[in-house]
Amino acid sequence: MALANVFEKRANKFCINDNMDVLIEILKRLDDRSLGVAACVCRLWCGLTRNDSLWEHLCFRHLSPPQEGVRTVVLALGGYRRLYMVCVKPVLSRLRVGGAAAELERRVWTRHEVELSLSLFCVDYYERVLIGGGGGGRLGGDSAAPPSSLMFLCKAVNV
Amino acid sequence: MNQEIYSKAKMWSCPDQADDDAGGVEDELFAVLGYKVKSSDMAEVAQKIQQLEQVMGSVQQDGGLPQLASDTVHYNPSDLSSWLESMITGLNPIPEFDSSASSDLFLDSSTITSLDNTSSSSSVVNSRAQMVVDSDFGSDLIAIPGKAVYPSNGIGNSNSIHQPPPPPPPKKLKASSDDLHSGFARPVLVDSQENGIRLVHTLMACAEAVQQDNFKLAEALVKNIGFLAVSQAGAMRKVATYFAEALARIIYRLYPANPQDSAFTDMLQMHFYETCPYLKFAHFTANQAILEAFAGKSRVHVIDFSMKQGMQWPALLQALALRPGGPPSFRLTGIGPPSHDNTDHLQEVGWKLAQLAETINVEFEYRGFVANSLADLDASMFDIREGETVAVNSIFELHQLLARPGAIEKVLQLVKGLKPEILTVVEQEANHNGNVFLDRFSESLHYYSTLFDSLESCGGGDGLVSDHDKVMSEVYLGRQICNVVACEGVDRVERHESLGQWRSRLGMAGFEAVHLGSNAYKQASMLLALFAGGDGYRVEENNGCLMLGWHTRPLIATSAWKLK
Repeated sequence: MALANVFEKRANKFCINDNMDVLIEILKRLDDRSLGVAACVCRLWCGLTRNDSLWEHLCFRHLSPPQEGVRTVVLALGGYRRLYMVCVKPVLSRLRVGGAAAELERRVWTRHEVELSLSLFCVDYYERVLIGGGGGGRLGGDSAAPPSSLMFLCKAVNV
Repeated sequence: MNQEIYSKAKMWSCPDQADDDAGGVEDELFAVLGYKVKSSDMAEVAQKIQQLEQVMGSVQQDGGLPQLASDTVHYNPSDLSSWLESMITGLNPIPEFDSSASSDLFLDSSTITSLDNTSSSSSVVNSRAQMVVDSDFGSDLIAIPGKAVYPSNGIGNSNSIHQPPPPPPPKKLKASSDDLHSGFARPVLVDSQENGIRLVHTLMACAEAVQQDNFKLAEALVKNIGFLAVSQAGAMRKVATYFAEALARIIYRLYPANPQDSAFTDMLQMHFYETCPYLKFAHFTANQAILEAFAGKSRVHVIDFSMKQGMQWPALLQALALRPGGPPSFRLTGIGPPSHDNTDHLQEVGWKLAQLAETINVEFEYRGFVANSLADLDASMFDIREGETVAVNSIFELHQLLARPGAIEKVLQLVKGLKPEILTVVEQEANHNGNVFLDRFSESLHYYSTLFDSLESCGGGDGLVSDHDKVMSEVYLGRQICNVVACEGVDRVERHESLGQWRSRLGMAGFEAVHLGSNAYKQASMLLALFAGGDGYRVEENNGCLMLGWHTRPLIATSAWKLK
């Protein structure tokens, strides 16, 4: 009897991988850490979570309305996922002292925070691609890694 | 004799930081000199001092009494009587002691084996103290270890004093605790904060000596600074070392050559840019002013007096790309010093920026000009076109013009001739251009101490801002210090002036101030909040100008100007 029930359930099972639009809708609502976890589930999910539009949504879902032309610029400079990792997340978490992840989501970006993040992102691009890669800027052959003035964003603030 | 003592001092002045096994806190002052004396034993040492003073008071100098060798070695670090005594009585800062004082009592506590000492050795010979030193500051400046007590065998044995130098003692010698004596109450308190104060006093005294051309005194003091600096930690030590080096250059007439290697300076500034927020603050606030001045303009031209690596412009290009109405067509003219390797550095930077501009779809044009000094420029070079809005930007460049008379006026007239919509100026907020050397010295000492303090907090506790970056930033600042203190005339280019002074200068040249506005302020505050140690930085608004400081001290100031 119990076994029959199990089989029956399996036959009616809703497989999420067959319903990508639902899956994407769900992923859109996750925070960054959960997206990272989701990326580990299977290759399909991994590919989906790398989709830049998901990250665009994550960066700017609470910003209304999204600015014209931002997408072009961001994509040119490295994409939303990188923008989030390098600039948005540190800026948000650093500037909202003591905010939990959930709170990060609920709060709305201010225009200034957006501008600042974008500026820093552009500086990051310049350093990474042009100065680091170009080899002319980092004189003396100090280090193999390109300079990053955004390293300061990676450090936890001693609050 | 002096040399031997001095070299012994050097040999011993390597602090061994390991704690004693008893786990007591070691006195830092002694630790500097290689002695391990626990703070808990300080009282005894102090008692010995007082005894010594009594003994000294009653002694007579004469050749009959055996003199202890001046060239002696400490086996028992607790027997610091001679050294302490000199500290307290404020004698000669240069180690010129002939002998150490001792008495039976001290030698009892010694761990020297052949302790033959008998009654007669309660002689004390006063050291030859001969330095012309003001007693108020000259006291306690002594770092003269290397006095030890040889058991003195004979009487009148002044000749046999030169015994071969014994091997250096093991570092961990416990202060003996079986010392006696009658309760003298007051222990001597020595702490490193006092040392810090002494250090500053010595620096000031040395500068004063230099100003008065009293180079003998200055030389002696500069050596002391070295000792005292070692006893400090962190920022103070580094600052003191740089200032001492600058003073030494004056004293020994090894003036630093004017740094010709602009590539090296650029590299140093890059590290400075990465380590701490000052340059970023400068760039972001200046960009905000330029952005606002360019509102609604379709063709813009920025003239940058401080091109370097062009780190300021990506952010402006991005902001222009995203402005409502779309980006203007952007022209950049960069001015830089000639490069000494055959690369065309300015062109390379321009090319990189052009690539960036293309990536974000901003129409971009670039021209680079090489000039030894801004005063060599001519208005016709810039090819200002009809309908173009011009902005002139200068980050830490204008003060260098003050080294040559007439240069700053010429450049400001040049700028006026360009009819800019806005002139953005960022300068150090300090007066390092006074006529009196001592004033310059003390001003810059305070300024760079604050700056180095802030650097200390920037450095990664978690090591993400690499130590390399931090060290290079310090070198960058150190070169400025050297220039402010040790150079004169046209070589001294770091002629910083305060915001008030620039205001009047620019006012007289025909400019009036443009208020920087709340956007710049908010962006700057946010930027600083992102830095670790961000709570130490302060953005202040000063009559429309923005200043960035560390705690209460403003360090750099951004201002914007337009033609009257």
